[in-house]
Amino acid sequence: MSRRFGALALLAGLAAPAPGSAQAIQNATLRRAQQANDNLEYRQVLSLARAALRERLTGPERARAYELLGFTYGAMDSILKAVDAFKQVVLIDPERQLDPNRVSPKAYSAFDVALRQVLLVRQLRIDSTSFVGGQGTAPIRFMVTQPARVVTRVIGAEGSFLIDSGAWNGQVNLLWPARLPNGDPVPAGSYTLVVEARLGQNASSASQPIRLSHGNVDTVPHLTSLPGYQYLPETEVPPQSWRPLGLAFLYTGGALIGTVGLESSSLGAGSKREIAVVGGAALVTGFVMTLRRPAPRPAAANILYNRLLRDQIVRRNQEIAKENVVRRQQVQLTLAPLPKPAAGGPR
Amino acid sequence: MTRAAAGVALLALAAPAAPAQRFTIGPQFALASYREVAAGLRYQGTGFGGAASGRFRKLLAEATVTRLTLDPAEGSSATAGFTATEVNAWLAYDVAPYASVELGVIRRATDPEFDAQSVGAVRVGARSFYEIGPGATVVFRANYLVAPKFSGGGRAPLSLDLGLGLEVRLAGRLLGTAAYTFERLNRKTNPGGTGEIDAPIQTTVARVGVGVSF
Repeated sequence: MSRRFGALALLAGLAAPAPGSAQAIQNATLRRAQQANDNLEYRQVLSLARAALRERLTGPERARAYELLGFTYGAMDSILKAVDAFKQVVLIDPERQLDPNRVSPKAYSAFDVALRQVLLVRQLRIDSTSFVGGQGTAPIRFMVTQPARVVTRVIGAEGSFLIDSGAWNGQVNLLWPARLPNGDPVPAGSYTLVVEARLGQNASSASQPIRLSHGNVDTVPHLTSLPGYQYLPETEVPPQSWRPLGLAFLYTGGALIGTVGLESSSLGAGSKREIAVVGGAALVTGFVMTLRRPAPRPAAANILYNRLLRDQIVRRNQEIAKENVVRRQQVQLTLAPLPKPAAGGPR
Repeated sequence: MTRAAAGVALLALAAPAAPAQRFTIGPQFALASYREVAAGLRYQGTGFGGAASGRFRKLLAEATVTRLTLDPAEGSSATAGFTATEVNAWLAYDVAPYASVELGVIRRATDPEFDAQSVGAVRVGARSFYEIGPGATVVFRANYLVAPKFSGGGRAPLSLDLGLGLEVRLAGRLLGTAAYTFERLNRKTNPGGTGEIDAPIQTTVARVGVGVSF
Protein backbone atom coordinates (compact mmCIF):
# COMPACT_ATOMS: atom_id res chain seq x y z
CA MET A 1 0.00 0.00 0.00
CA SER A 2 2.73 2.43 0.95
CA ARG A 3 4.60 1.51 -2.26
CA ARG A 4 1.55 2.29 -4.37
CA PHE A 5 1.05 5.51 -2.49
CA GLY A 6 4.66 6.39 -3.19
CA ALA A 7 4.27 5.68 -6.92
CA LEU A 8 1.21 7.90 -7.11
CA ALA A 9 3.03 10.60 -5.25
CA LEU A 10 5.86 10.33 -7.75
CA LEU A 11 3.41 10.76 -10.58
CA ALA A 12 1.87 13.70 -8.80
CA GLY A 13 5.31 15.18 -8.49
CA LEU A 14 5.83 14.74 -12.20
CA ALA A 15 2.58 16.56 -12.77
CA ALA A 16 3.92 19.58 -10.97
CA PRO A 17 4.27 22.67 -13.16
CA ALA A 18 7.47 23.61 -14.88
CA PRO A 19 10.25 25.09 -12.76
CA GLY A 20 9.63 28.46 -14.31
CA SER A 21 6.18 28.71 -12.86
CA ALA A 22 7.42 27.47 -9.51
CA GLN A 23 9.95 30.25 -9.51
CA ALA A 24 7.18 32.76 -10.10
CA ILE A 25 5.63 31.92 -6.73
CA GLN A 26 6.17 34.85 -4.38
CA ASN A 27 4.12 33.67 -1.41
CA ALA A 28 6.38 31.95 1.14
CA THR A 29 3.71 29.56 2.43
CA LEU A 30 2.88 28.47 -1.07
CA ARG A 31 6.57 28.00 -1.81
CA ARG A 32 6.82 25.76 1.25
CA ALA A 33 3.78 23.82 0.08
CA GLN A 34 5.47 23.39 -3.29
CA GLN A 35 8.63 22.15 -1.58
CA ALA A 36 6.58 19.76 0.57
CA ASN A 37 4.98 18.49 -2.62
CA ASP A 38 8.39 18.03 -4.16
CA ASN A 39 9.39 16.07 -1.05
CA LEU A 40 6.22 13.96 -1.17
CA GLU A 41 5.13 15.25 2.26
CA TYR A 42 1.45 15.30 1.43
CA ARG A 43 0.05 16.07 4.84
CA GLN A 44 2.23 19.14 4.90
CA VAL A 45 1.20 19.99 1.33
CA LEU A 46 -2.43 19.98 2.40
CA SER A 47 -1.90 22.11 5.48
CA LEU A 48 0.47 24.57 3.79
CA ALA A 49 -1.65 24.91 0.64
CA ARG A 50 -4.77 25.56 2.75
CA ALA A 51 -2.81 28.06 4.82
CA ALA A 52 -1.58 29.78 1.66
CA LEU A 53 -5.13 30.10 0.35
CA ARG A 54 -6.00 32.05 3.49
CA GLU A 55 -3.29 34.52 2.61
CA ARG A 56 -3.14 37.19 -0.07
CA LEU A 57 -2.24 35.47 -3.36
CA THR A 58 -2.10 36.41 -6.97
CA GLY A 59 -4.41 34.60 -9.37
CA PRO A 60 -1.76 32.18 -10.66
CA GLU A 61 -0.63 31.51 -7.09
CA ARG A 62 -4.17 30.77 -5.99
CA ALA A 63 -4.63 28.45 -8.98
CA ARG A 64 -1.34 26.75 -8.13
CA ALA A 65 -2.43 26.30 -4.52
CA TYR A 66 -5.66 24.62 -5.58
CA GLU A 67 -3.74 22.57 -8.10
CA LEU A 68 -1.41 21.29 -5.37
CA LEU A 69 -4.49 20.38 -3.35
CA GLY A 70 -5.99 18.61 -6.34
CA PHE A 71 -2.88 16.58 -7.02
CA THR A 72 -2.50 15.70 -3.35
CA TYR A 73 -6.16 14.72 -2.89
CA GLY A 74 -5.86 12.67 -6.05
CA ALA A 75 -2.79 10.93 -4.70
CA MET A 76 -4.63 10.31 -1.45
CA ASP A 77 -7.66 8.84 -3.31
CA SER A 78 -9.91 11.71 -2.20
CA ILE A 79 -11.34 12.07 -5.69
CA LEU A 80 -14.29 14.30 -4.82
CA LYS A 81 -12.04 16.73 -3.01
CA ALA A 82 -9.59 16.56 -5.90
CA VAL A 83 -12.41 17.41 -8.31
CA ASP A 84 -13.47 20.35 -6.16
CA ALA A 85 -9.90 21.62 -6.03
CA PHE A 86 -9.50 21.32 -9.81
CA LYS A 87 -12.81 23.13 -10.34
CA GLN A 88 -11.35 26.06 -8.47
CA VAL A 89 -8.25 25.81 -10.65
CA VAL A 90 -10.19 26.03 -13.94
CA LEU A 91 -12.48 28.72 -12.63
CA ILE A 92 -9.43 30.84 -11.83
CA ASP A 93 -7.53 29.87 -14.96
CA PRO A 94 -9.82 28.39 -17.63
CA GLU A 95 -6.89 27.84 -19.94
CA ARG A 96 -5.16 25.49 -17.48
CA GLN A 97 -4.35 22.20 -19.16
CA LEU A 98 -2.76 19.06 -17.72
CA ASP A 99 -0.36 16.91 -19.68
CA PRO A 100 -1.78 13.35 -19.63
CA ASN A 101 1.74 12.02 -20.09
CA ARG A 102 2.98 13.65 -16.91
CA VAL A 103 -0.07 13.48 -14.66
CA SER A 104 -1.44 10.48 -12.84
CA PRO A 105 -4.59 9.04 -14.40
CA LYS A 106 -6.49 9.75 -11.18
CA ALA A 107 -5.50 13.39 -11.13
CA TYR A 108 -6.15 13.72 -14.85
CA SER A 109 -9.57 12.10 -14.58
CA ALA A 110 -10.40 14.29 -11.60
CA PHE A 111 -9.35 17.34 -13.64
CA ASP A 112 -11.44 16.11 -16.54
CA VAL A 113 -14.48 15.59 -14.28
CA ALA A 114 -13.94 19.07 -12.85
CA LEU A 115 -13.88 20.57 -16.33
CA ARG A 116 -17.20 18.95 -17.20
CA GLN A 117 -18.83 20.23 -14.03
CA VAL A 118 -18.31 23.92 -14.82
CA LEU A 119 -19.28 25.89 -17.91
CA LEU A 120 -16.16 27.22 -19.53
CA VAL A 121 -15.12 28.60 -22.86
CA ARG A 122 -11.45 27.82 -23.21
CA GLN A 123 -8.65 27.43 -25.66
CA LEU A 124 -10.00 30.08 -27.98
CA ARG A 125 -7.69 30.21 -30.99
CA ILE A 126 -7.72 32.08 -34.27
CA ASP A 127 -4.84 31.62 -36.65
CA SER A 128 -3.09 34.32 -38.62
CA THR A 129 -4.53 34.01 -42.08
CA SER A 130 -4.92 35.91 -45.29
CA PHE A 131 -7.58 35.33 -47.91
CA VAL A 132 -9.63 37.08 -50.57
CA GLY A 133 -12.99 38.34 -49.33
CA GLY A 134 -15.77 35.99 -50.35
CA GLN A 135 -13.32 33.25 -51.33
CA GLY A 136 -11.83 32.20 -48.01
CA THR A 137 -12.45 31.96 -44.30
CA ALA A 138 -10.63 32.37 -41.03
CA PRO A 139 -10.74 29.30 -38.78
CA ILE A 140 -11.80 29.89 -35.17
CA ARG A 141 -11.47 27.13 -32.58
CA PHE A 142 -12.53 26.92 -28.97
CA MET A 143 -13.83 24.45 -26.45
CA VAL A 144 -17.07 24.57 -24.51
CA THR A 145 -17.04 22.30 -21.48
CA GLN A 146 -20.80 21.88 -21.22
CA PRO A 147 -23.66 21.95 -23.76
CA ALA A 148 -24.56 25.63 -24.00
CA ARG A 149 -25.86 28.39 -26.22
CA VAL A 150 -22.73 29.94 -27.65
CA VAL A 151 -22.59 33.34 -29.33
CA THR A 152 -19.43 34.24 -31.19
CA ARG A 153 -18.83 37.76 -32.44
CA VAL A 154 -16.21 40.39 -33.04
CA ILE A 155 -16.50 43.74 -31.35
CA GLY A 156 -14.55 46.81 -32.36
CA ALA A 157 -14.74 50.51 -32.98
CA GLU A 158 -16.34 49.80 -36.36
CA GLY A 159 -19.19 47.90 -34.72
CA SER A 160 -20.17 44.48 -33.49
CA PHE A 161 -20.49 41.67 -36.01
CA LEU A 162 -22.03 38.29 -35.27
CA ILE A 163 -20.03 35.30 -36.42
CA ASP A 164 -22.09 32.41 -35.10
CA SER A 165 -24.84 31.63 -32.65
CA GLY A 166 -25.67 28.05 -31.81
CA ALA A 167 -25.75 25.25 -29.29
CA TRP A 168 -22.33 23.73 -28.90
CA ASN A 169 -20.47 21.29 -26.67
CA GLY A 170 -16.86 20.21 -26.71
CA GLN A 171 -14.47 21.27 -29.42
CA VAL A 172 -15.97 23.87 -31.75
CA ASN A 173 -14.52 24.78 -35.15
CA LEU A 174 -15.97 27.80 -36.91
CA LEU A 175 -15.11 29.31 -40.27
CA TRP A 176 -15.46 33.09 -40.43
CA PRO A 177 -15.66 34.66 -43.89
CA ALA A 178 -15.26 38.16 -42.38
CA ARG A 179 -18.15 39.46 -44.52
CA LEU A 180 -21.21 41.50 -43.73
CA PRO A 181 -24.67 40.29 -44.76
CA ASN A 182 -24.52 42.51 -47.86
CA GLY A 183 -21.31 40.88 -49.00
CA ASP A 184 -19.00 43.71 -48.05
CA PRO A 185 -15.94 42.78 -46.01
CA VAL A 186 -15.91 43.59 -42.32
CA PRO A 187 -14.20 46.98 -42.01
CA ALA A 188 -10.51 46.93 -41.23
CA GLY A 189 -9.52 47.63 -37.65
CA SER A 190 -8.81 46.15 -34.28
CA TYR A 191 -11.46 43.89 -32.87
CA THR A 192 -11.96 41.57 -29.95
CA LEU A 193 -13.17 38.11 -30.78
CA VAL A 194 -15.62 37.25 -28.02
CA VAL A 195 -17.15 33.84 -27.39
CA GLU A 196 -19.94 33.82 -24.84
CA ALA A 197 -21.50 30.59 -23.60
CA ARG A 198 -24.66 30.56 -21.51
CA LEU A 199 -26.39 27.67 -19.81
CA GLY A 200 -29.16 28.74 -17.52
CA GLN A 201 -27.69 31.04 -14.90
CA ASN A 202 -24.14 29.99 -15.74
CA ALA A 203 -22.14 31.91 -18.25
CA SER A 204 -18.59 31.93 -19.45
CA SER A 205 -16.74 33.87 -22.05
CA ALA A 206 -13.38 34.01 -23.69
CA SER A 207 -11.89 36.72 -25.83
CA GLN A 208 -9.01 37.23 -28.20
CA PRO A 209 -7.88 40.55 -29.64
CA ILE A 210 -7.41 40.44 -33.39
CA ARG A 211 -6.48 42.85 -36.12
CA LEU A 212 -8.19 42.80 -39.48
CA SER A 213 -6.53 44.65 -42.32
CA HIS A 214 -7.53 45.14 -45.93
CA GLY A 215 -5.27 45.04 -48.94
CA ASN A 216 -5.38 47.72 -51.62
CA VAL A 217 -8.33 47.66 -53.96
CA ASP A 218 -7.82 48.71 -57.57
CA THR A 219 -11.20 50.26 -58.30
CA VAL A 220 -12.07 51.59 -61.73
CA PRO A 221 -12.55 55.39 -61.86
CA HIS A 222 -15.89 56.75 -63.05
CA LEU A 223 -16.07 58.18 -66.54
CA THR A 224 -16.83 61.77 -67.43
CA SER A 225 -16.50 61.15 -71.15
CA LEU A 226 -16.15 58.26 -73.53
CA PRO A 227 -12.80 58.05 -75.31
CA GLY A 228 -13.18 59.17 -78.89
CA TYR A 229 -16.59 60.73 -78.34
CA GLN A 230 -17.04 64.44 -77.67
CA TYR A 231 -20.15 66.37 -76.75
CA LEU A 232 -21.48 68.45 -79.63
CA PRO A 233 -22.83 72.00 -79.28
CA GLU A 234 -26.56 71.88 -78.59
CA THR A 235 -27.30 75.11 -80.41
CA GLU A 236 -26.35 76.15 -83.90
CA VAL A 237 -26.48 79.46 -85.68
CA PRO A 238 -28.58 79.05 -88.82
CA PRO A 239 -27.30 80.60 -92.04
CA GLN A 240 -28.46 84.12 -92.83
CA SER A 241 -31.55 84.26 -95.04
CA TRP A 242 -34.21 86.59 -96.34
CA ARG A 243 -36.79 84.74 -94.31
CA PRO A 244 -37.39 87.55 -91.75
CA LEU A 245 -38.03 90.11 -94.48
CA GLY A 246 -40.14 87.62 -96.38
CA LEU A 247 -42.26 86.93 -93.34
CA ALA A 248 -42.63 90.65 -92.64
CA PHE A 249 -43.78 91.08 -96.25
CA LEU A 250 -46.18 88.19 -95.91
CA TYR A 251 -47.82 89.46 -92.73
CA THR A 252 -47.90 93.09 -93.89
CA GLY A 253 -49.19 92.06 -97.28
CA GLY A 254 -51.91 90.00 -95.67
CA ALA A 255 -53.05 92.94 -93.60
CA LEU A 256 -52.91 95.29 -96.61
CA ILE A 257 -54.78 92.94 -98.90
CA GLY A 258 -57.36 92.32 -96.20
CA THR A 259 -57.80 96.04 -95.69
CA VAL A 260 -58.18 96.80 -99.36
CA GLY A 261 -60.46 93.84 -99.88
CA LEU A 262 -62.75 94.66 -97.00
CA GLU A 263 -63.01 98.38 -97.60
CA SER A 264 -66.57 99.44 -98.26
CA SER A 265 -67.09 100.75 -101.75
CA SER A 266 -69.66 103.16 -100.51
CA LEU A 267 -67.19 104.71 -98.07
CA GLY A 268 -64.45 105.13 -100.65
CA ALA A 269 -60.79 104.33 -100.30
CA GLY A 270 -59.79 104.60 -96.73
CA SER A 271 -56.76 106.14 -95.14
CA LYS A 272 -53.59 104.08 -95.59
CA ARG A 273 -51.37 106.05 -93.25
CA GLU A 274 -52.12 103.69 -90.36
CA ILE A 275 -51.05 100.57 -92.19
CA ALA A 276 -48.17 102.47 -93.70
CA VAL A 277 -46.86 103.21 -90.22
CA VAL A 278 -47.22 99.73 -88.82
CA GLY A 279 -46.47 97.84 -92.03
CA GLY A 280 -43.42 100.02 -92.63
CA ALA A 281 -42.20 99.26 -89.13
CA ALA A 282 -42.70 95.54 -89.74
CA LEU A 283 -40.80 95.66 -93.03
CA VAL A 284 -37.93 97.64 -91.54
CA THR A 285 -37.77 95.21 -88.66
CA GLY A 286 -37.77 92.29 -91.10
CA PHE A 287 -34.98 93.90 -93.09
CA VAL A 288 -32.90 94.54 -89.99
CA MET A 289 -33.45 90.98 -88.81
CA THR A 290 -32.37 89.74 -92.22
CA LEU A 291 -29.08 91.62 -91.88
CA ARG A 292 -28.54 90.55 -88.28
CA ARG A 293 -26.76 87.40 -87.34
CA PRO A 294 -29.50 84.85 -86.67
CA ALA A 295 -30.07 83.74 -83.13
CA PRO A 296 -28.71 80.33 -82.21
CA ARG A 297 -31.36 77.66 -82.31
CA PRO A 298 -31.43 74.19 -80.74
CA ALA A 299 -29.66 71.57 -82.83
CA ALA A 300 -32.00 68.60 -82.46
CA ALA A 301 -29.55 66.02 -83.82
CA ASN A 302 -26.76 67.20 -81.54
CA ILE A 303 -29.09 67.26 -78.52
CA LEU A 304 -30.11 63.70 -79.30
CA TYR A 305 -26.49 62.65 -79.79
CA ASN A 306 -25.45 64.27 -76.49
CA ARG A 307 -28.35 62.60 -74.70
CA LEU A 308 -27.28 59.22 -76.07
CA LEU A 309 -23.69 59.95 -75.04
CA ARG A 310 -24.77 60.95 -71.54
CA ASP A 311 -26.96 57.86 -71.24
CA GLN A 312 -24.06 55.72 -72.38
CA ILE A 313 -21.73 57.30 -69.80
CA VAL A 314 -24.34 56.89 -67.06
CA ARG A 315 -24.82 53.24 -68.04
CA ARG A 316 -21.07 52.63 -68.12
CA ASN A 317 -20.65 54.33 -64.72
CA GLN A 318 -23.39 52.12 -63.29
CA GLU A 319 -21.48 49.09 -64.56
CA ILE A 320 -18.28 50.49 -63.08
CA ALA A 321 -20.01 51.08 -59.75
CA LYS A 322 -21.19 47.46 -59.71
CA GLU A 323 -17.74 46.28 -60.69
CA ASN A 324 -16.17 48.38 -57.94
CA VAL A 325 -18.56 46.93 -55.38
CA VAL A 326 -17.41 43.44 -56.36
CA ARG A 327 -13.78 44.54 -56.29
CA ARG A 328 -14.19 46.02 -52.83
CA GLN A 329 -15.83 42.83 -51.67
CA GLN A 330 -12.96 40.79 -53.05
CA VAL A 331 -10.33 42.67 -51.10
CA GLN A 332 -7.41 40.77 -49.59
CA LEU A 333 -8.20 40.31 -45.90
CA THR A 334 -5.42 39.69 -43.41
CA LEU A 335 -6.35 38.56 -39.94
CA ALA A 336 -3.87 38.32 -37.12
CA PRO A 337 -4.38 37.58 -33.41
CA LEU A 338 -2.94 40.17 -31.07
CA PRO A 339 -1.40 39.45 -27.67
CA LYS A 340 -3.89 39.54 -24.84
CA PRO A 341 -3.54 42.40 -22.40
CA ALA A 342 -1.64 41.50 -19.20
CA ALA A 343 -3.70 39.83 -16.45
CA GLY A 344 -4.65 41.79 -13.33
CA GLY A 345 -2.96 41.71 -9.93
CA PRO A 346 -3.78 39.55 -6.91
CA ARG A 347 -7.36 38.41 -6.38
CA MET B 1 -36.19 110.20 -58.59
CA THR B 2 -32.74 109.63 -57.13
CA ARG B 3 -29.82 108.41 -59.23
CA ALA B 4 -29.85 105.11 -57.35
CA ALA B 5 -33.51 104.54 -58.13
CA ALA B 6 -32.89 105.43 -61.75
CA GLY B 7 -30.00 102.95 -61.85
CA VAL B 8 -32.14 100.19 -60.38
CA ALA B 9 -34.87 100.93 -62.91
CA LEU B 10 -32.35 100.78 -65.79
CA LEU B 11 -30.99 97.48 -64.50
CA ALA B 12 -34.51 96.07 -64.23
CA LEU B 13 -35.20 97.16 -67.80
CA ALA B 14 -31.94 95.68 -69.05
CA ALA B 15 -32.59 92.22 -67.64
CA PRO B 16 -34.50 89.93 -70.02
CA ALA B 17 -37.84 88.47 -68.93
CA ALA B 18 -38.58 84.77 -68.63
CA PRO B 19 -40.22 83.57 -71.88
CA ALA B 20 -42.65 80.96 -70.49
CA GLN B 21 -44.63 83.52 -68.58
CA ARG B 22 -44.41 87.19 -69.27
CA PHE B 23 -46.31 90.32 -68.53
CA THR B 24 -45.95 93.43 -70.68
CA ILE B 25 -47.36 96.88 -70.20
CA GLY B 26 -46.72 100.20 -71.84
CA PRO B 27 -48.12 103.43 -73.32
CA GLN B 28 -49.07 103.89 -76.93
CA PHE B 29 -49.60 106.73 -79.37
CA ALA B 30 -52.43 106.23 -81.84
CA LEU B 31 -53.39 107.41 -85.31
CA ALA B 32 -56.95 106.80 -86.41
CA SER B 33 -59.31 107.17 -89.28
CA TYR B 34 -63.08 106.79 -89.07
CA ARG B 35 -65.69 106.67 -91.83
CA GLU B 36 -69.39 106.18 -91.51
CA VAL B 37 -72.42 105.89 -93.79
CA ALA B 38 -70.94 107.62 -96.85
CA ALA B 39 -67.62 108.62 -98.34
CA GLY B 40 -68.15 112.20 -97.30
CA LEU B 41 -68.40 111.51 -93.58
CA ARG B 42 -64.85 110.85 -92.53
CA TYR B 43 -62.70 111.74 -89.59
CA GLN B 44 -59.02 111.55 -88.75
CA GLY B 45 -57.28 112.01 -85.51
CA THR B 46 -54.75 110.93 -82.94
CA GLY B 47 -54.83 109.71 -79.41
CA PHE B 48 -53.08 108.01 -76.58
CA GLY B 49 -53.59 104.77 -74.81
CA GLY B 50 -51.99 101.84 -73.20
CA ALA B 51 -51.62 98.15 -73.81
CA ALA B 52 -51.05 95.27 -71.47
CA SER B 53 -50.53 91.62 -72.21
CA GLY B 54 -49.72 88.56 -70.18
CA ARG B 55 -48.61 85.15 -71.35
CA PHE B 56 -48.69 81.97 -69.34
CA ARG B 57 -47.50 78.97 -71.30
CA LYS B 58 -50.04 78.66 -74.16
CA LEU B 59 -52.43 81.27 -72.87
CA LEU B 60 -52.23 84.92 -73.87
CA ALA B 61 -54.37 87.71 -72.48
CA GLU B 62 -54.17 91.12 -74.10
CA ALA B 63 -55.99 94.41 -73.59
CA THR B 64 -55.73 97.90 -75.04
CA VAL B 65 -57.37 101.16 -74.10
CA THR B 66 -57.18 104.07 -76.52
CA ARG B 67 -58.65 107.50 -76.33
CA LEU B 68 -58.92 109.09 -79.75
CA THR B 69 -59.72 112.61 -80.73
CA LEU B 70 -61.22 112.53 -84.20
CA ASP B 71 -61.80 115.62 -86.27
CA PRO B 72 -63.46 115.95 -89.68
CA ALA B 73 -60.98 115.09 -92.38
CA GLU B 74 -60.25 117.39 -95.28
CA GLY B 75 -63.22 117.46 -97.60
CA SER B 76 -65.47 115.81 -95.03
CA SER B 77 -69.09 116.80 -94.73
CA ALA B 78 -68.88 116.54 -90.94
CA THR B 79 -68.97 119.77 -89.03
CA ALA B 80 -67.65 118.71 -85.62
CA GLY B 81 -65.29 116.15 -84.25
CA PHE B 82 -65.74 113.77 -81.39
CA THR B 83 -63.72 111.69 -79.02
CA ALA B 84 -63.82 107.95 -78.83
CA THR B 85 -62.66 105.67 -76.07
CA GLU B 86 -61.97 102.21 -77.35
CA VAL B 87 -61.36 99.15 -75.23
CA ASN B 88 -60.22 95.87 -76.77
CA ALA B 89 -59.54 92.61 -75.02
CA TRP B 90 -58.42 89.22 -76.28
CA LEU B 91 -57.85 85.86 -74.72
CA ALA B 92 -55.84 83.60 -77.03
CA TYR B 93 -54.81 79.99 -76.76
CA ASP B 94 -51.95 78.56 -78.81
CA VAL B 95 -53.06 75.64 -80.92
CA ALA B 96 -49.82 75.44 -82.89
CA PRO B 97 -46.32 76.90 -82.58
CA TYR B 98 -47.36 79.78 -84.85
CA ALA B 99 -51.11 80.04 -84.39
CA SER B 100 -53.72 80.54 -81.74
CA VAL B 101 -57.47 80.90 -81.51
CA GLU B 102 -58.88 83.84 -79.65
CA LEU B 103 -61.97 85.28 -78.09
CA GLY B 104 -62.49 88.87 -77.01
CA VAL B 105 -64.58 91.96 -76.81
CA ILE B 106 -64.55 95.40 -78.33
CA ARG B 107 -66.20 98.45 -76.86
CA ARG B 108 -66.00 101.92 -78.37
CA ALA B 109 -67.81 104.80 -76.74
CA THR B 110 -68.09 108.17 -78.42
CA ASP B 111 -68.56 111.59 -76.95
CA PRO B 112 -70.80 113.39 -77.78
CA GLU B 113 -72.81 110.23 -77.78
CA PHE B 114 -74.62 110.57 -81.10
CA ASP B 115 -71.91 112.29 -83.16
CA ALA B 116 -70.71 108.82 -84.10
CA GLN B 117 -71.76 105.27 -83.33
CA SER B 118 -70.80 103.68 -80.07
CA VAL B 119 -70.16 99.99 -80.63
CA GLY B 120 -69.93 96.89 -78.50
CA ALA B 121 -69.29 93.37 -79.76
CA VAL B 122 -67.83 90.01 -78.98
CA ARG B 123 -64.97 89.00 -81.22
CA VAL B 124 -63.98 85.48 -82.26
CA GLY B 125 -61.01 84.70 -84.45
CA ALA B 126 -57.50 83.48 -84.84
CA ARG B 127 -54.02 84.91 -84.99
CA SER B 128 -50.76 83.85 -86.50
CA PHE B 129 -47.47 84.95 -85.01
CA TYR B 130 -43.92 84.39 -86.05
CA GLU B 131 -40.58 85.31 -84.55
CA ILE B 132 -38.74 86.83 -87.47
CA GLY B 133 -35.62 87.43 -85.43
CA PRO B 134 -34.28 87.50 -81.90
CA GLY B 135 -36.95 89.32 -79.88
CA ALA B 136 -38.94 90.40 -82.95
CA THR B 137 -42.38 88.97 -83.55
CA VAL B 138 -44.99 89.79 -86.18
CA VAL B 139 -48.65 89.00 -85.68
CA PHE B 140 -51.56 88.86 -88.06
CA ARG B 141 -55.05 88.35 -86.78
CA ALA B 142 -58.56 88.19 -88.13
CA ASN B 143 -61.66 88.44 -85.99
CA TYR B 144 -65.32 88.15 -86.68
CA LEU B 145 -67.40 90.55 -84.58
CA VAL B 146 -70.42 88.71 -83.32
CA ALA B 147 -73.72 90.61 -83.15
CA PRO B 148 -72.42 94.10 -82.59
CA LYS B 149 -74.63 96.61 -80.80
CA PHE B 150 -74.76 100.24 -81.88
CA SER B 151 -75.86 103.27 -79.94
CA GLY B 152 -77.92 104.34 -82.93
CA GLY B 153 -79.48 100.92 -83.41
CA GLY B 154 -79.25 98.70 -86.41
CA ARG B 155 -77.48 95.46 -87.07
CA ALA B 156 -74.32 94.37 -88.78
CA PRO B 157 -74.38 90.76 -89.99
CA LEU B 158 -70.91 91.05 -91.54
CA SER B 159 -68.41 92.66 -89.25
CA LEU B 160 -64.73 91.94 -89.49
CA ASP B 161 -61.64 93.12 -87.75
CA LEU B 162 -58.11 92.61 -89.14
CA GLY B 163 -54.90 93.33 -87.32
CA LEU B 164 -51.18 93.48 -87.87
CA GLY B 165 -48.85 93.60 -84.90
CA LEU B 166 -45.16 93.96 -84.30
CA GLU B 167 -43.18 93.57 -81.13
CA VAL B 168 -39.43 94.21 -81.02
CA ARG B 169 -37.17 93.87 -78.01
CA LEU B 170 -35.20 97.10 -77.93
CA ALA B 171 -33.06 96.44 -74.87
CA GLY B 172 -33.48 93.99 -72.02
CA ARG B 173 -37.06 94.34 -70.82
CA LEU B 174 -37.83 97.30 -73.03
CA LEU B 175 -40.01 96.54 -76.03
CA GLY B 176 -41.19 98.51 -79.01
CA THR B 177 -44.74 97.75 -80.11
CA ALA B 178 -46.80 98.64 -83.14
CA ALA B 179 -50.31 97.49 -83.99
CA TYR B 180 -52.66 98.15 -86.86
CA THR B 181 -56.39 97.50 -86.79
CA PHE B 182 -58.84 97.64 -89.62
CA GLU B 183 -62.47 97.30 -88.69
CA ARG B 184 -65.39 97.01 -91.09
CA LEU B 185 -68.94 96.97 -89.74
CA ASN B 186 -71.61 96.42 -92.40
CA ARG B 187 -74.23 98.19 -90.39
CA LYS B 188 -77.81 98.29 -91.66
CA THR B 189 -80.48 100.47 -90.15
CA ASN B 190 -84.19 100.74 -90.62
CA PRO B 191 -85.08 104.34 -89.77
CA GLY B 192 -88.81 104.81 -89.32
CA GLY B 193 -89.57 101.32 -90.59
CA THR B 194 -89.11 102.39 -94.20
CA GLY B 195 -86.76 99.60 -95.03
CA GLU B 196 -83.15 98.79 -94.31
CA ILE B 197 -80.45 101.05 -95.57
CA ASP B 198 -76.71 100.56 -95.46
CA ALA B 199 -74.79 102.58 -92.87
CA PRO B 200 -71.35 101.01 -92.90
CA ILE B 201 -68.65 101.95 -90.44
CA GLN B 202 -64.94 101.62 -91.18
CA THR B 203 -62.18 102.35 -88.74
CA THR B 204 -58.41 102.07 -89.01
CA VAL B 205 -56.18 102.58 -86.04
CA ALA B 206 -52.40 102.42 -85.74
CA ARG B 207 -50.86 102.29 -82.31
CA VAL B 208 -47.15 102.69 -81.73
CA GLY B 209 -45.58 102.51 -78.31
CA VAL B 210 -43.12 101.00 -75.93
CA GLY B 211 -43.58 98.41 -73.26
CA VAL B 212 -41.82 96.89 -70.35
CA SER B 213 -41.92 93.17 -69.90
CA PHE B 214 -41.69 91.35 -66.57
